[in-house]
Amino acid sequence: MSEIDMLASPDTAKTGPSGAAVVALDCKGLLCPLPVYRASQAISRLEPGAVLRVECTDPGSLADFPAFARQRNLTLLSATERDGVQVFELRKVADA
Amino acid sequence: MEIIDTAAGSAALGAATEELEVRGVTWRRGRIAGIGPDAARRRYGDVRELIASPANATPLVRLNHVVAPAADAYLKLEWLNPFGSVKDRTARYLLEGMRQRGELDGRELVEATSGNTGIALAALAALEGIPLTVTIPSGVPAEKLVLLRMLGATVMATPDDLCPVDNPRDGAIALARAIVESPAHRGRYVMPNQYANPDNVRAHYETTGPEIWEQTEGLVRTFVAGFGTCGTITGVGRFLKERDSSIRIVAVEPQAGHRLPGLKNLQEARPPAILDRSVIDEVIQVPDVPAYAMTTRLFREEGLIVGPSTGAIAHAIAALDGAASGLTVGISPDGGQKYASFYADLVADEAAGS
Repeated sequence: MSEIDMLASPDTAKTGPSGAAVVALDCKGLLCPLPVYRASQAISRLEPGAVLRVECTDPGSLADFPAFARQRNLTLLSATERDGVQVFELRKVADA
Repeated sequence: MEIIDTAAGSAALGAATEELEVRGVTWRRGRIAGIGPDAARRRYGDVRELIASPANATPLVRLNHVVAPAADAYLKLEWLNPFGSVKDRTARYLLEGMRQRGELDGRELVEATSGNTGIALAALAALEGIPLTVTIPSGVPAEKLVLLRMLGATVMATPDDLCPVDNPRDGAIALARAIVESPAHRGRYVMPNQYANPDNVRAHYETTGPEIWEQTEGLVRTFVAGFGTCGTITGVGRFLKERDSSIRIVAVEPQAGHRLPGLKNLQEARPPAILDRSVIDEVIQVPDVPAYAMTTRLFREEGLIVGPSTGAIAHAIAALDGAASGLTVGISPDGGQKYASFYADLVADEAAGS
């Protein structure tokens, strides 16, 4: 499987403190729009209520992910930066 | 004459086996060595040799019913290239140029394409064992996606609004560029870049243009092609203008928001870097409705199974003043079999009586 095929599947899944599944997506070293593309693919595979945790280094992501969250009806739980890595946590809205 | 027809027998003879010429067939002790390619007999070593060139030109076919009686117009049927479109020429030149510059060594290919370039690149890349990823706008017909995957390409379908802040309106190009430039990929991906690569123009300057000149015996007066990557209009336009600057080069442009794969409206999409507007004498805008109407007429009145961009180009030809245009050649970039899903609406509307 080529590297790009691997972009489509999230790296790891664990459970966060609230019990919701947290899926981690490492997008460090990927330029816009690859992080949102990968996130878009990962989100489509998530259960409603699950959380996607994306790590990016591209400065463009700072504005991309809040806009992406609005566009795809996701809840942006947090947007933090540490040592040049931005971390976004997005929750797929649970079905009403 | 002794012919040993088993592999064991041949091996027993050792490496130095004798070749025998028998009625034009070369036999090697043990098996036929191969009669080799022969273009005059239309016998080819592999499918790449079928990509059009002046030695093997795509046909010009006269339009007899969809243009005025005074017109003398031909379509150049580029879908008779081996992978189905005019882009076979482009892909061959793009890859050959990259190979000569050493850009292919140990790399993988990635390209943004509406389909035909991807198909041609995928076929050539498959023949040469080079991995290819194609980024495509999500609106292309399923037939093209299936073809690409059958040819072994990795396909990433992108919506145009992929980069929500920038909204460059071509998510496929942005994604392809990001794949090439992302530091995490360490330079492993290389993009032929049909919109900016001069080899695209060179393909048409060296093959399509000379073919048209030769096939019309130098009598062509008007050439019509679409704005897409603009390789054809630029390469052929440049070649023909050099032969005779009074030849009229006419570009066909779709309207904004069109559904004519392969064509580009240059107000809503960025004009390709390779476009040379100085060779273009006139731009005719063709909306979807007349393009599809003419496509239907080409099927039914000329027996031409074409893609909708051909309908747009033929509509423009029909709109020209036939007497003033003289001998006119238009490009038919691709065939109609890949567009069943696009044409389904047309025939459904007819059946419904609308």
